[in-house]
Amino acid sequence: MITASQKPINEIIELLEPYKKILILGCGTCVKTCFAGGEDEVAVLASALRLSFKKMVRPIEIEEMTIERQCENEFIQEASSSIARNDVILSLACGAGVQAMAKRFSKEVVLPGLNTTFIGIQESSGIFTEECSGCGDCSLATFGGVCPVTRCAKKLLNGPCGGSQNGFCEIDPDTQCAWHLIIERLTTLGQLDNLKTYIPPKNWNTSLCGGPRKLIREDHII
Amino acid sequence: MKINTEPKLTLFHCLNSFEETASMFDGCDAKTIKMACSSMTKDVHLLRAFEAGADAVLVLVCHEKGCRYAQGSMWAKKRVDYVKTILDDIGMDGRRLNIFNTTAKDSGSIKDIIQNTISQLETIGPNPALNHFN
Ligand code: SF4
Ligand code: SF4
Repeated sequence: MITASQKPINEIIELLEPYKKILILGCGTCVKTCFAGGEDEVAVLASALRLSFKKMVRPIEIEEMTIERQCENEFIQEASSSIARNDVILSLACGAGVQAMAKRFSKEVVLPGLNTTFIGIQESSGIFTEECSGCGDCSLATFGGVCPVTRCAKKLLNGPCGGSQNGFCEIDPDTQCAWHLIIERLTTLGQLDNLKTYIPPKNWNTSLCGGPRKLIREDHII
Repeated sequence: MKINTEPKLTLFHCLNSFEETASMFDGCDAKTIKMACSSMTKDVHLLRAFEAGADAVLVLVCHEKGCRYAQGSMWAKKRVDYVKTILDDIGMDGRRLNIFNTTAKDSGSIKDIIQNTISQLETIGPNPALNHFN
């Protein structure tokens, strides 16, 4: 999933300064799972904003709505009439969702209510970790399902470095050393030989370093 | 700012942590909200109590080890602490929201909690959004 966290409420209040009718639009998939932009978070933010604006004696109208996904036109459509009756959309989706909304409603102001952080998983209740950087050339097969591109601070492909300490990374004692995990996992799988092959420097052209990417599926285009 | 009328208090409680007795709410205009378990304490309900005009909100839950549903009280505390930060951030003063571990039998302590909340409001002042509600 894509993880995100809510922007500080005072930043949101500042962003909303010029507007009177606000639609807070949640996204019911990834950002709901990380407690940033689902129905519950929309309701909490709406209530906090109403209190805040009333305290400032600023008349404001807030409408709340959550759609399944803001990154898909099909779902975005559902919000059309709510969007039409408001001055601004405060989107609680990831950056892709905010941009999809802005593309679909080209004359409307769409503001981001979240800071999008990473592609990750919920490791345990309330703890989310980054697992994939979307490099465009996945090598998890070699590394036993542990991504050194994302989870090794130095992105080492022929690791570990000398800073691996008792299973933890030298950059942060709370972060597990990806290479420690790779070796443990390959040992369990009986695939430690994977590491006998030298892995050449990564071609970063398939990643964001090669500029914004596009995925084209000719078989789905007419 | 001093509160001229009786302060408004909203009290959320789980089934086992509170039982109303006579004169418990002397000096305030109280609303009580019963929850089947303290884990049902939700951010939005706490905030909406302030939207509905509460000057202070109390959440009464069982002692952590006495919670029948194991972690209900702990989750409730997490929710209250989080909403306190929101209230602080928007200048509403998080001190007007508090959680206490109580048992229904101990009406004396509960009465003290309520009276302390009322006197604390003398310092904190009324709900700053209150006067502007429609
Ligand atoms: S190798 Fe690339 S695609 Fe695979 S998990 Fe790592 S960053 Fe993601
Ligand atoms: S300690 Fe492990 S994870 Fe950290 S930089 Fe070195 S090899 Fe990478």
